[in-house]
Amino acid sequence: MTMLNPDPDAALVERVKQGDVRAFEMLVVKYQRRIERLIGRMVRDVDLVSDIAQETFIRAYRALPQFRAESAFYTWLYRIAVNTAKKALVDMKRDPVTTLTALQGSDEDDETYRPGMEPTDGETPEALLASKEIAATVNAAIAALSEDLRQAITLREIEGLSYEEISDVMNCPIGTVRSRIFRAREAIAERLRPLLDTREGNRW
Amino acid sequence: MSQPDSDRASSESSRRILSALADGDATDGEAARAFQAWRDDAGARAAWHSYQLIGDVLRSEDLASEPRADEAFLVALRARLADEPVVLAPQPRAEEAAVAAPAVANAGAAARSRARWQGPMAMAAGFLVVIGGLNVVRPFGHGSDVSVAAGAGAASVPLMASATAINNGAVVATGEQTPAQTKAAADQLAPYLAAHRQSAMNAPFQMPGNDLRNVNLVQPAP
Repeated sequence: MTMLNPDPDAALVERVKQGDVRAFEMLVVKYQRRIERLIGRMVRDVDLVSDIAQETFIRAYRALPQFRAESAFYTWLYRIAVNTAKKALVDMKRDPVTTLTALQGSDEDDETYRPGMEPTDGETPEALLASKEIAATVNAAIAALSEDLRQAITLREIEGLSYEEISDVMNCPIGTVRSRIFRAREAIAERLRPLLDTREGNRW
Repeated sequence: MSQPDSDRASSESSRRILSALADGDATDGEAARAFQAWRDDAGARAAWHSYQLIGDVLRSEDLASEPRADEAFLVALRARLADEPVVLAPQPRAEEAAVAAPAVANAGAAARSRARWQGPMAMAAGFLVVIGGLNVVRPFGHGSDVSVAAGAGAASVPLMASATAINNGAVVATGEQTPAQTKAAADQLAPYLAAHRQSAMNAPFQMPGNDLRNVNLVQPAP
């Protein structure tokens, strides 16, 4: 059975449209890494990637009332990211100094303080090492899962199947699919916890 | 860290719902609980971040990023969002939504219905244009019969049914009006019609009033 999957972000988007800005934060946490990688492929200056990603989310937030769900939210967001990056590149060619300042913000109280000019975590050897460690831990956790849990999480996250489609593939009820995916995530998150938590239970 | 069993169960329940919400499988009630958990529970926020990070890393290892970077990004964005006006999109009312669906479903039938009456209406509009043109070009004269519409064809009859026929300054009702109503309407329209007729007799192609005047362009002799 194949059907057009509904947008998995529909509930979050509707919530934001009703005025809940905190729901938008959930979308940010979900898509920030993918948006930054997309922009990073267009903009060579790594210092600007985060700023353009920020601008992307702000523009998306402003435009959300006009989002008509004719495409998936992430498709719409990607389009905004690409347009924002293109505009930043054009502006950079026209006026590199002004654009750099505008994108990175300014602190009038301290002329020497430039937040965007600090080395970003994404560039430091420690950050690269941490990223590799996270990836290795996720892979090890996946390998340690039972076959049912591994298949369920793989079909969902890598193949992008809906719960209904996974229940067809795995020949089990949708409730079981939901439970298996949750348990798989919990098992992987448990292994990741020492790497992710900066303070006990207070990551955010 | 010792956590009461009830808190632990509630926390696990919240995470279970967050997992479903991440895949777009939460019910409305569950989604509301998930939003509340994101707002109030640091553990729920950490779980949401973990689930999303796990999905990203499974799809591509280069999406593995330190949580500190993700947190810094959100904190910076939160500060900017605080300066933004709150998003409030108009929500369709329940009865409108219920009506909208059949309206869309019947869109084809409505288009076909429009096509049926568009022809006669276009013809009637054409007659009206002709009548209007005749009234403009032909100056009102004493004794002239301006009820041209009566002879213009059957198509114009329904359109004229509620209008008034004008004859020598008298206004005659052709619709269902009482004599008193007809007299009142005639009294109101008589001055306007007299002024209009006067200006039409004087200069059919000139704007009434003295503020505008005609200008002749005189070419200089070569």
